[in-house]
Amino acid sequence: MKTKKAFAQKENSFFWGVVALVWQALFFYLPLSFLLTTSFVKYLSSTGVSYFSFDYYLYLFQPVYGFIFMRSLLAASCTVFVTLSIAYPVAYYLALKVSDRWKNTLFALLILPFWTNFLLLVYSWYFLLENDGLVNMIFLKLGLISSPLHLMNTTGAIYFGMFYCYLPFMLLPLYSSLEKLDPRLLEASADLGASFWQTLRNIIIPLTTSGIKTGALLVFVPAFGEFVIPALLGGDRTMYVGSVITHYFLTVRNVPLGSAFTCISALVLVVFVTVIFKVFRFVFGRDSYGS
Amino acid sequence: MARKQFSYQSLLLPIWVSMAYLFLYLPLFVLIAFSFNKVEFPYRWVGFSWRWYQELFASTEIWQAAWNSLLVGSCAVILSLVIGLLFVMWNAQRKSDYLLTYFYPNLIVPEIVFTVGLLSFFVFFNVPLGLLTLIVGHTLLGLGYTIPILHARFSTLDRNIIEASLDLGATYRQTFYKVVLPILMPALVAAGLLVFILSLDDFLIAFFCAGASAQTLPLFIFSMIRTGVSPVVNALATVMLSISGILVIAFCSLRVRARVW
Repeated sequence: MKTKKAFAQKENSFFWGVVALVWQALFFYLPLSFLLTTSFVKYLSSTGVSYFSFDYYLYLFQPVYGFIFMRSLLAASCTVFVTLSIAYPVAYYLALKVSDRWKNTLFALLILPFWTNFLLLVYSWYFLLENDGLVNMIFLKLGLISSPLHLMNTTGAIYFGMFYCYLPFMLLPLYSSLEKLDPRLLEASADLGASFWQTLRNIIIPLTTSGIKTGALLVFVPAFGEFVIPALLGGDRTMYVGSVITHYFLTVRNVPLGSAFTCISALVLVVFVTVIFKVFRFVFGRDSYGS
Repeated sequence: MARKQFSYQSLLLPIWVSMAYLFLYLPLFVLIAFSFNKVEFPYRWVGFSWRWYQELFASTEIWQAAWNSLLVGSCAVILSLVIGLLFVMWNAQRKSDYLLTYFYPNLIVPEIVFTVGLLSFFVFFNVPLGLLTLIVGHTLLGLGYTIPILHARFSTLDRNIIEASLDLGATYRQTFYKVVLPILMPALVAAGLLVFILSLDDFLIAFFCAGASAQTLPLFIFSMIRTGVSPVVNALATVMLSISGILVIAFCSLRVRARVW
């Protein structure tokens, strides 16, 4: 500690360490407060006067916007639910059941999609979902359908795209929390006569709550603001939160209204996530016996 | 009883896992396969050809976009590593770590929210949108990752080693370059790779903050696939997947447990 201090005093590192804080304040906190301010300021071009008003928020108080929030919340919740159900057994298998030799290879195979351009992941679904795509081809060959299904530009396509693109975001945190689990605990639980499901319910899941939480947040937050997948796989037909923000900022260039909408959606997100966490804590009991 | 359930489990789980891997990789395989297809439409396999790769490497637009992406990525990596390292070292000699929480929102606030914030901020102050604004945005994103990773590594660093180095007559500068930096190197490389990948992958910040003039690879891909399928994008995807593959192998061989997820 003493050396560290001496080390730092010599190098005048106070100044340079502060650069990160300044950067963060200038380009993160300032723009965010700017966004909040803009949403409350009304500018009248006729008189050239700006004044404080709730007009943009009042304008957004319409059922249409409510439906958009509901749609995004639903899509993001479904994505969390489905990716969690797919990913949990996979992460469990990889962390606890696979020999070390295969573990690294399989883990590398999990990171690869995570490190692949998001747009390319979305694009790969074109080849499955188009009228001449793989899904229709297989279904036609099997004789399940007689004419190609229309799969692109549907809500189903958006959902599948979301499940696919966000699966790696769920897998990695689950894997790293399951990997820390002591296998001896599972043996002890089995020795004491617990069935697999009892062990899962009472040992494995409580000890990996932090991983589940991280994964759920990593999926839910970007999925809520998603705009690329609805635009590409949904054909821009249905509006999601991300599409509305893009529309206001880039298409119609109504910055104050866009700011108001962005602020409301951030609020909706925070409230929803907090409530969900509270509900889960209430339903499943306190999750503190893990930590 | 318990035995029976475990054997049932042992059969079900590998199937589930292979299905999940199939789900992850099938679309990518189809994507790669069609980059070698001779014809464009419809999506039937006709024959093998390098045609789309030739077209890809002949296109100056793609090269320009790739160059821009590399430039922005490298600048964001260097900036976020240098700023992040300086901050972590400064933070280490302070009494508490509460300043670290100052950077958590970069990971928690939805990207689209701070992106539009950044956009209206730049527009208000008449900052011309371009590669520079993009670098600012990506560095911000990068700081959210580099600071936790570097902090995790720095806090495990044995202070006695620094003391020993200073006692043995090394200057502060020598101690930094010959002792501290080599110890932090795996974390620096891992964080740098992560930021580079994030920057290369980022579409949202580029879409809002790059303006009309600066084209990056994701922006190019978006404008190409918005109108439909183009095998040149498949060829590009194959090339990018191979690069990501190499980077993943590099990252995994580093064995740094990034504390971000």
